[in-house]
Amino acid sequence: MARIYLHPLPVRIWHWTNAIGFILMIISGLQIRYVGLVDLFSFRAAVTMHNFVGFVLIANFFVWLAFYLSSDRIRAYHSELNPKKHFIGAIRQIYYYAFGIFRGEPNPFHATPYNKFNPLQSMIYQIIMMLLLPVQIYTGILLWDVQRFQSQVDFFGGVRVLDTVHVLIFIAFVFYLFVHVYLGSLGHTRTTHYKAMITGYEDEE
Amino acid sequence: MGATMIGYRTLRHNARALLPNGFALAVGALLLLAPTMGWAADEPAANPDQACLGCHGFAGMEKKAADGDVIKLHVPGELFAKSVHGANGCASCHSDIDAGKHPPSTKEIKSARSYSVGMTESCKGCHTDKFTQWDTSIHAALVRAGNPAAPICTDCHNPHGVIKGAAAKVDETPCQSCHKDVFTAYSASVHGQSLKTKADSYAPVCSGCHSAHEVKPISLGQGPTAACAGCHAGVLEKHKSWLPNAALHFEVVSCPACHVQNAQRKVDLMLIDAQDKARGTEQIGVPLFDASTRSDGKGIDAITLWNLLQTFNREGAHNRTVVRGRLKVATGPQAHQLGDKGTAVSDCRTCHSENSEAFKSVTISLVGPDGRRVGYGASADVLNSVISVDTVRGFYAIGGTRIILLDILLVLAVLAGIGVAVGHVFLGWFFKRFGFYNPHNGGHAGHPPAGDGPKAAQK
Repeated sequence: MARIYLHPLPVRIWHWTNAIGFILMIISGLQIRYVGLVDLFSFRAAVTMHNFVGFVLIANFFVWLAFYLSSDRIRAYHSELNPKKHFIGAIRQIYYYAFGIFRGEPNPFHATPYNKFNPLQSMIYQIIMMLLLPVQIYTGILLWDVQRFQSQVDFFGGVRVLDTVHVLIFIAFVFYLFVHVYLGSLGHTRTTHYKAMITGYEDEE
Repeated sequence: MGATMIGYRTLRHNARALLPNGFALAVGALLLLAPTMGWAADEPAANPDQACLGCHGFAGMEKKAADGDVIKLHVPGELFAKSVHGANGCASCHSDIDAGKHPPSTKEIKSARSYSVGMTESCKGCHTDKFTQWDTSIHAALVRAGNPAAPICTDCHNPHGVIKGAAAKVDETPCQSCHKDVFTAYSASVHGQSLKTKADSYAPVCSGCHSAHEVKPISLGQGPTAACAGCHAGVLEKHKSWLPNAALHFEVVSCPACHVQNAQRKVDLMLIDAQDKARGTEQIGVPLFDASTRSDGKGIDAITLWNLLQTFNREGAHNRTVVRGRLKVATGPQAHQLGDKGTAVSDCRTCHSENSEAFKSVTISLVGPDGRRVGYGASADVLNSVISVDTVRGFYAIGGTRIILLDILLVLAVLAGIGVAVGHVFLGWFFKRFGFYNPHNGGHAGHPPAGDGPKAAQK
């Protein structure tokens, strides 16, 4: 059984910071949005936590961006530059997760350090990291101090419009979190991917 | 003349005798004769007004207007002499009186009100700046609309007894004569009590917040909030130390909404001109709103509001109409029951929870043709339906006015996320259980994700 070094230390630190941050943002976000229904801590403490962790995650986003922009491992996010091949690969991966895996068929994708995301992962991670997360960060900053950014808030249609976008992406992240954690269990063993994200090394069958 | 005009005929005779060649001569003669006449009038004011007071100084002097109103013609001489107008003299305001022909007065007065309204032109002559301010006020708008109770100059300022600064004394503020319930509430407030109990108090009377003359409808702007900040300097900075988005709270929450204990709160959605936020949407829409007000008592709903805004902003509309929301207390008297800061609301849940009563009471308001705010009841769904993203873009209280559809989507997202995992595990079990899984297809040992081993393999 081979071991490959998939996740460099900066990526692992970024990932787990992100993981803890996302959970804290979801908990504090739920507390803020559902006062009365959720009573884990005070509204004000939830707002303070949401703001603080939010800025930590913004900094963390730029850690991720700086690492990949300065590393040749950025290829992992788009190893296949042909859109048609990339799309077909994503369809194969969906077929595998939806059907092939139950029939005992082999995973059509094999991870390498420079090609560690399957086409479906690559597509989804790019949408998350280059679209949803930046939009979430931007709307979050505007909502953090509406008056300071009043002209931008007005430009996008008002505070309710921004909040709706922020909440819609939050809902998408909540769904993603469940699926992400579950798909992490579909490695060589149940814990292969989890261990790899801690040690950096993944066992290959 | 009525029976109460004691001695009027005699007085008129005397005055006529003293006024054969004009006002000045008559006044001069009156000055010489007055000490010998033994009039029972009030102490006369400084000359040259003694001739006037020779008649008008008698208590009970009055005249009947055409509409039957009784106009009091009595001017207390001593009071007038002490007033700020005492030095000006009668003729400075009553220049229309021809001293050579008066008395008797043959001029018919339609009503006491019409006479007083006409006399405001005299006030304007000297007090142009104050008159201009008043002319833009809600009071002037009401006068123009024909409201017989709307105050003109003389309703607040007794022209024959006006003393500088009198209205600044809490018990003498003239506003209370019309706004009694508000004044009662104010008297019990931290401001009213401060003035009553502390000699050196600088708490405001009515004009301190509302201005004396340029009184505007409360819905038209930030007036009262700005007035609070006028005395409570640095109040925004103090709130910033504990209140997230304090500046935004200041913009959309009126001070009394937090600083009046046990207040009933409501949301007022004002229709304003997007180009000029300080101005109301004037003259338009009122009939349209009247037609749109539902008869079931629930008020304007989300769809109706959206349709109305579409109508206002139809192609070719001069200016775009938008909605500006504001959280305030339900009634005028409540707005004046300001308490000590120790009693103010600081619990965010008061407004930021789903069950907050503040968002159950909603009005949609605009400025009517007479300049007054016209409010229409609205159902709470104008704040939490999905269409509010378009109609009420600028007003949102986290938790309190959240959109229900997003809550449903969140629940579906959680169910779907769990469903994907549970469903996938179930399918794995199903394929193994019924022999559809073949480990020799090339998959690794961990697949499928059901865990118990393939039934086919067990065989």
